[in-house]
Amino acid sequence: MIRPLVIFLAATTAALAQVPDAAPAQPAAQPAAGSGNGGSPNGNSANSGGGSSFLGKDMPFFSPGSEIVTWDGKNWNINNNRVFEARFEKFLNAPPSTAESDREYQATLQRIMEKLTPGKITPQDMDEAFRLLTTAAQFSDDAKLCDSIANQVYSSWLAKKNNARLSAANTSLEFERKRLEWNAKVTAEGSRLDAPGSKADGMAAEWTKQQQLKRDMEMQPLLTRLAEITALLKTNQLKSEVAELQIKIEFQALIVQHFLQRRFQHAIIGTRFYRSIFADGDSQLRVGEDAKSLFAKTTGLPPTMGTVDSLANEIIRDVREGVQAFKFLLEKDEMESASKRLAETFIIGEYLPEIRTLNRDDKRKALAFVQKTNQLISALEVKDYTLAETLVGELKVTAKDVDTSKPTAAIETARQVSAMHIAKARNAAVSGDKESLETELKAAMEIWPRNPALTEVSKMIFSQADVQSRALVDFDQLLSQKNYRQIFDDKMRFIAATSMYPEKQEELRKVLDDMQVIETAIIQAQEIEKRSNYAGAWESAEKAFQKYPNDNKLNQVRANLTIEASEFVQALKKAQDLEGKNQPGSSLSWYLKAWNKYPQSEFAKEGVERLTKEVLPDAT
Amino acid sequence: MARRGKNSIKPLWIVTAVILLAAAFFGSRLFIAANSEPFRTVNSLDVKAYLDNANSLRSNIYKIEGEVNDSLGWSPSTGRLIAVSVNKGADLLPVLVTTDFNHINIQKGQKFIFILEVDNKGILRTKHLIKS
Repeated sequence: MIRPLVIFLAATTAALAQVPDAAPAQPAAQPAAGSGNGGSPNGNSANSGGGSSFLGKDMPFFSPGSEIVTWDGKNWNINNNRVFEARFEKFLNAPPSTAESDREYQATLQRIMEKLTPGKITPQDMDEAFRLLTTAAQFSDDAKLCDSIANQVYSSWLAKKNNARLSAANTSLEFERKRLEWNAKVTAEGSRLDAPGSKADGMAAEWTKQQQLKRDMEMQPLLTRLAEITALLKTNQLKSEVAELQIKIEFQALIVQHFLQRRFQHAIIGTRFYRSIFADGDSQLRVGEDAKSLFAKTTGLPPTMGTVDSLANEIIRDVREGVQAFKFLLEKDEMESASKRLAETFIIGEYLPEIRTLNRDDKRKALAFVQKTNQLISALEVKDYTLAETLVGELKVTAKDVDTSKPTAAIETARQVSAMHIAKARNAAVSGDKESLETELKAAMEIWPRNPALTEVSKMIFSQADVQSRALVDFDQLLSQKNYRQIFDDKMRFIAATSMYPEKQEELRKVLDDMQVIETAIIQAQEIEKRSNYAGAWESAEKAFQKYPNDNKLNQVRANLTIEASEFVQALKKAQDLEGKNQPGSSLSWYLKAWNKYPQSEFAKEGVERLTKEVLPDAT
Repeated sequence: MARRGKNSIKPLWIVTAVILLAAAFFGSRLFIAANSEPFRTVNSLDVKAYLDNANSLRSNIYKIEGEVNDSLGWSPSTGRLIAVSVNKGADLLPVLVTTDFNHINIQKGQKFIFILEVDNKGILRTKHLIKS
């Protein structure tokens, strides 16, 4: 009997406490909630709308099957909304209400309820309970609710006193009415006593007529007053009934309000005061049709003060059991069930002492589990399966009863499909199929955006592309600078980078060929130098230098050898200089001098032959 | 104590006579040698100046004495171009022995005195040559 009402209360509380955030995104949730297996029987009325004034427009509706609350056209998941989470986490982090003031407050409420225990209540107990209401209202946890009850009780007493005065007045009026009736009766009978004997019929008739007139005149004021008194009596009676009904309705509304606010202790106190004050047996709830329907459909009973009282007691017992179940499950390390039981119990009995005095360390354990599960939900929502996998592992350790089959299946599926796309992306990268590469990477990213393997592959592919493009830029730059030495030193990088560009490959090949010539010349020069043939070494370097004047290494070797073979080099340079000035005689002398110093000199020999040809054009 | 005779030849006179005879001998030899150099009036070539800038010596006649180092070329119409080592082999000068001297055998290692004219291109063109 209690479960549907509890669900209703939970829904009411959650709905009142939160801002809807999922209504536009879950258009299908509402009909699902309405047709859920465990849907509340009042689902139809909840969805009916029609301008009900109770708690706004529509009645809140909670579907236990989908755990979705529907209210005013909006949907919330009871276990997954920020307001409930925030409220629940606040509770889990809050210290237990075990201070002296908390104990005093609870003791005060308990004493009030004891004083008002049905069957044992005396006027003195009632006065004492009334006095204790003001005491309880002084505690901050009470939120002045006891004050509201006290005010309502006082108003009821005033109304009752007023009714007593009306009753006294009615008694006086009743006496007056009776007196008037008797007088009227006597008056009516008196006329018969004075009746004439058997005189003449005419006189007798005249006498009778006069007597009748006289009697009528005497009766008139009596009858008028009697009518007035009767009307006044009826008015007072009606006034009393209306006043009592008004105060009853006010009191009942306050009790129902406390009940819906989950202030069940206050609801019980209210009902007990009510029944003590209005002990006429009329305990029917005079609330709106929606509320009546709610109580009738959820409890199967007519809405009475007794129903409210028994439901409140039942809920208090249910909360007590829920807390015990939580503690037991906690001991067994069954954190999922423990957290769920605590959450359910918290929704209903947030203000009950069993909840408020829960040990903080125990609550923190539940908090850790709740946070992890929330984190897991978020991780799965954003497809962060790495984090989800970690969380699943942690949850398995901390909670023996946690069902990880769904997240594990989601993680494994994502892993498999993502791995497949990554493999395809790798193949596409190797084969240079950029379109497929992009498609596969995109698909892999959509499935598992934070997949470490995806990051790794992307980094590899993009770093390769980056390295390649950078190498190509460097190659072009070095080529424009004629810095073939740098290209030669980094040849492996450029060979790899130009592998997909035939034109650049050709340019690189030419550079490397030239550099091979330079390197050979340098090696040759160094070998000749080792034999102290500096002129020969220089000439070897010079030959390469004339073709590749920008190579630093060659320049350096040549410069060193120029110093070593200075006389030869000087003679040769002088010869070339004079040859350029069209002085073949002097030039030839210098060439001869150089040739004399290094008879294997090709430069000198060529110079001599060239100038000889000039001097002797027809030489044989 | 006996006195020495006055007709004995004094050693000083003998030494003086020997010196005079030697001077006469070498003087005559030098005179003969000087008179035997046929191009003694021709200036020797300033090799350094030639090497630096032969244009400054164009049309001038010079004399060099050197050893034939190598034959660089031969043209039937122009003659032979040889390399002549001068200044004790420190320098090599190209000398064009024109066809006028075709009758003279010129071989490597022979020493000659060349009378040369520096032509427009700075080539040392032979005017005369004799073996030295």
